Amino acid sequence: MPFTTRIEVLEALTPVFREVLDDSALVLRENMTAADVEGWDSLNHIDLIVAIEKKFKVRFTTSEVTSLKNVGELADLVQTKLATSH
Amino acid sequence: MSRGGARNLDYAALLRASRLLDSSANQQEVKLALLSDAATQRMVPLFRALLHERGINAEIYEAPFDAIELQVYDSRSGLYKFQPDFMVVLNAVQALRTRFMQRSGSASAFVQETIEGVVRTWEGIQARSTATIIQSNFVLPYERFFGNFDQKVPDSFYAVAMRLNALLAQEASKRTGVLIQDVEGVASWIGRSLWFDDRFWDMAKSYCALEYLPAVAQNVVDIVMASRGHVTKCVVVDLDNTLWGGVVADDGLDNLLLGAHGEGEAFHRFQCYLRELANRGILLAVCSKNDMKNALLPFQEHPEMVLKREHFVAFMANWSDKAENIRNIRETLNIGFDSMVFLDDNSFERNLVRELMPEVTVPELPEDPADYVRAISELNLFEATSFSAEDVKRAELYRQEAERKEIQARFATVDEFLKSLDMRMTVERFDSFHLPRIAQLIQRSNQFNLTTRRRSEAECAALMNDPRWIPLYAKLADRLSDHGLISVVILERGEKHLAIRDWLMSCRVLSRGVEQCQMNEVFERARQEGLELVTGEYIPTAKNGLVKGFFEQFGFRKIDELDGGHTRWALETSAYQPATVLIRLAETAQAEIST
Repeated sequence: MPFTTRIEVLEALTPVFREVLDDSALVLRENMTAADVEGWDSLNHIDLIVAIEKKFKVRFTTSEVTSLKNVGELADLVQTKLATSH
Repeated sequence: MSRGGARNLDYAALLRASRLLDSSANQQEVKLALLSDAATQRMVPLFRALLHERGINAEIYEAPFDAIELQVYDSRSGLYKFQPDFMVVLNAVQALRTRFMQRSGSASAFVQETIEGVVRTWEGIQARSTATIIQSNFVLPYERFFGNFDQKVPDSFYAVAMRLNALLAQEASKRTGVLIQDVEGVASWIGRSLWFDDRFWDMAKSYCALEYLPAVAQNVVDIVMASRGHVTKCVVVDLDNTLWGGVVADDGLDNLLLGAHGEGEAFHRFQCYLRELANRGILLAVCSKNDMKNALLPFQEHPEMVLKREHFVAFMANWSDKAENIRNIRETLNIGFDSMVFLDDNSFERNLVRELMPEVTVPELPEDPADYVRAISELNLFEATSFSAEDVKRAELYRQEAERKEIQARFATVDEFLKSLDMRMTVERFDSFHLPRIAQLIQRSNQFNLTTRRRSEAECAALMNDPRWIPLYAKLADRLSDHGLISVVILERGEKHLAIRDWLMSCRVLSRGVEQCQMNEVFERARQEGLELVTGEYIPTAKNGLVKGFFEQFGFRKIDELDGGHTRWALETSAYQPATVLIRLAETAQAEIST
């Protein structure tokens, strides 16, 4: 499994966020929310989810997508899904 | 700009590209209005990126979500202020499902109401705009309430969607200016199980899984490009290992792979595919490195050949390079490189043509000939926005043209030859019967076209009914063939002058005096109506250099020169010297609409 540790997951999420939000200098923090990041609106949120699903080969449920609060929760979710799918 | 090969329809890559578009790189513009009961925000950058690739800057108007009727029936809505060239109406089957589940009457009544609603929308648009309508059909839903038996139950949702698609096609066929976007065809190519992502419909009213939004946008772009005259007119094919398996000069006629059964079936299927294209008016040409004798042999003697020599309007079998041969074919047919598709199994030849003629479409052909037809089909290279009897006749006309050139060689002077042709021309005001062909000629003519205004069928209909305008078409026939409708001249009456707004002609009838005959008519009309001056303009494009000196040759003087070589011309009615022509002008059958 390529993305086992927390750091690895965050590192892999960073380029996805940078590309979707068109901000090459973006640095992800655990407690970062949509309100903290310019361009992270509801439309881009869906682009982010789709890009993350494609990258990690996971699938989020509707309620997961709508209830995510911050980057840390997203990383948790990815980690859990990766752990159970392999 | 170049087409062919696999299409890059990656959602994220296109969004990224849309942020970096350099609009100064393109000269052409198009205005699209999007009307949908799904969300369209993400379609906008995709349209921009895909049209930019084709050399066009897109200006896009997004109607508010699910406000199709509100926008359409309000003459003062932003939709009409925007004055779009195209109205893209995108209906989601998900929204249809919601309405179906809430229906109060029978399923049949629901079908009837829905199709009537769509048709009313078209009529609402056409009463207020001359934009071409691009109406989506419905992607068939995945639920089958009766399983396979759905096919026999007209009330099931699946059957309802199928019936609506059939009715949409039927209603659109009855009308001009309405084109169907077969999004169901796109979705079924990809597969329904991948196409839909209901999470994103629920959350954001996304038309389909985001990954496939580019395929929807591309499908619309294909229609837009074809409407603007970018259509494939000619397919140039190689012979050995393309039309048949093996090399005729090496393997011998008897050992070629070709036939309705077994190993040769792939080539048989490919030939059938090309024959169908020829039947629908696509010109076929051969370009092969071969001795002529060997190249012709299968056409003459192989019993399994589906394509015959007469299916081809040009036949190049020699040892010159293929680029040179394609250039010759282009010259013979008088068409643009960008309307040509080149099919060759040899990657060296494909790359050579791509390198030397980037405008020619050169698809990658798969290694296995069994995949040829599918690979070419995937590229949707033969998009059309009209189909008329003229299309079917076109190949025949080109063959007759070749014959005419042969006869011409036997006469000492061109005039002597032209006289022998016994040419007869009729010039008439636009009428509804000829509108489809008129609009088609307007979309297709590139070289002999003074202004290249791509007026849609609906716009032509509007001109037809406006007494200020004199929109004329011309038909030509001669001893050898009936050329049909070959020219369009659009005039506008001013107070004291007659303005030539558009003037275009099929290149099949160049150098026969058609335009001279028409110009005589234009001045005769100006004289009869007491208009003192005739004016005209020339708007240069990459392709219409042929008519740069058009007005000058008739004695017009240049009165204005604008940016980019756009020129305006004028000539006093009394100063015009009628040209000598060898065409008989038939009496006009129709009365002019009185002013």
